[in-house]
Amino acid sequence: MRKLALAVVLALAAPSAHAAEPWGLKDEKLVSFKGKVVDVLCTLKGDCPADCGAGKRQLGLVSTEGKLFTASKSNTLFAGAARDLLPWCGKTIEIDGLLIENPAMPILMVQGIRETPDKEFAPTDQFEKDWTAANGKADEWWRADPTVKATLAPNGILGRKDLKWPK
Amino acid sequence: MPAKHPIAGPSRAIGGDERKRMTKLSQFRILALAAALAAAPVAAAQEPRRVTIAGEVSDSWCTVSGLMFARGTAHHQCAIWCALGGIPVAIRSADGALYILLKLGDDENSAANPRIARMATHEVVVEGELLERDGVNYLLVDRIADDKGVITMTHEEHGIQPFGN
Repeated sequence: MRKLALAVVLALAAPSAHAAEPWGLKDEKLVSFKGKVVDVLCTLKGDCPADCGAGKRQLGLVSTEGKLFTASKSNTLFAGAARDLLPWCGKTIEIDGLLIENPAMPILMVQGIRETPDKEFAPTDQFEKDWTAANGKADEWWRADPTVKATLAPNGILGRKDLKWPK
Repeated sequence: MPAKHPIAGPSRAIGGDERKRMTKLSQFRILALAAALAAAPVAAAQEPRRVTIAGEVSDSWCTVSGLMFARGTAHHQCAIWCALGGIPVAIRSADGALYILLKLGDDENSAANPRIARMATHEVVVEGELLERDGVNYLLVDRIADDKGVITMTHEEHGIQPFGN
């Protein structure tokens, strides 16, 4: 019985298989590719702090074909992927996710990251983990966040003092 | 007199076997050069171009994904959520072009920067450097020449994006 319980616990604790999930967006493509994690400003201008900007700069991937992709979105709602890529700064990893090939610009949502093919893709949820560690658990980080509240406070959710919502 | 090969170097009197070897070597060098060029980055860093861009500040994900109506008062709150969540912020010009903000003055923090978030859905005119790479415009802003605030009224028609509150 104890062996069975242990097996269940281990099964639940093991990393789950992860594959990119479609969102049904226009022009979206499921993608998986290898790339070197880069600081975008460093790649474009040669302005390169040692730590890829410590999570304060936009990060991206340079694919093996030399194409630069800014990692714009993670699995956490309303959150980017810089914190997920930061530990891999300067290293080559494999990602899966969605590439939206909009005529205005392509945009990459990174859903999973793995270092080597023998590992499962780890979901990109570092923003949520970091936020929870700093602020405590919340159902919707975006409404509970103190900086969001402070930014919205002067002008309200419409961005103008002269407008009220709901009316 | 045979033409000099640009890769094989200056011509000189050589024997038949050596000539064959040199020809092979030249072919190999050409193939190696072609392979190296093919493996090189598609687009290396480019020289920046001075630009003045006018448009609305908004997050790139909502604008590009088409998940919601991402303009003006209806999207103001959501644009702040995304900016503070670290999603790249862009300026959308009147012709629909997008310019990702990587720098604002001396401030190189482009992920979750409250200063950038405070500009969400503002109509601005900025001056700076434009770098283009792989279909994306990246903007390094030197100066905000004008900030009109939020002037595009969209909430009456579209409500509050994306949840209604």
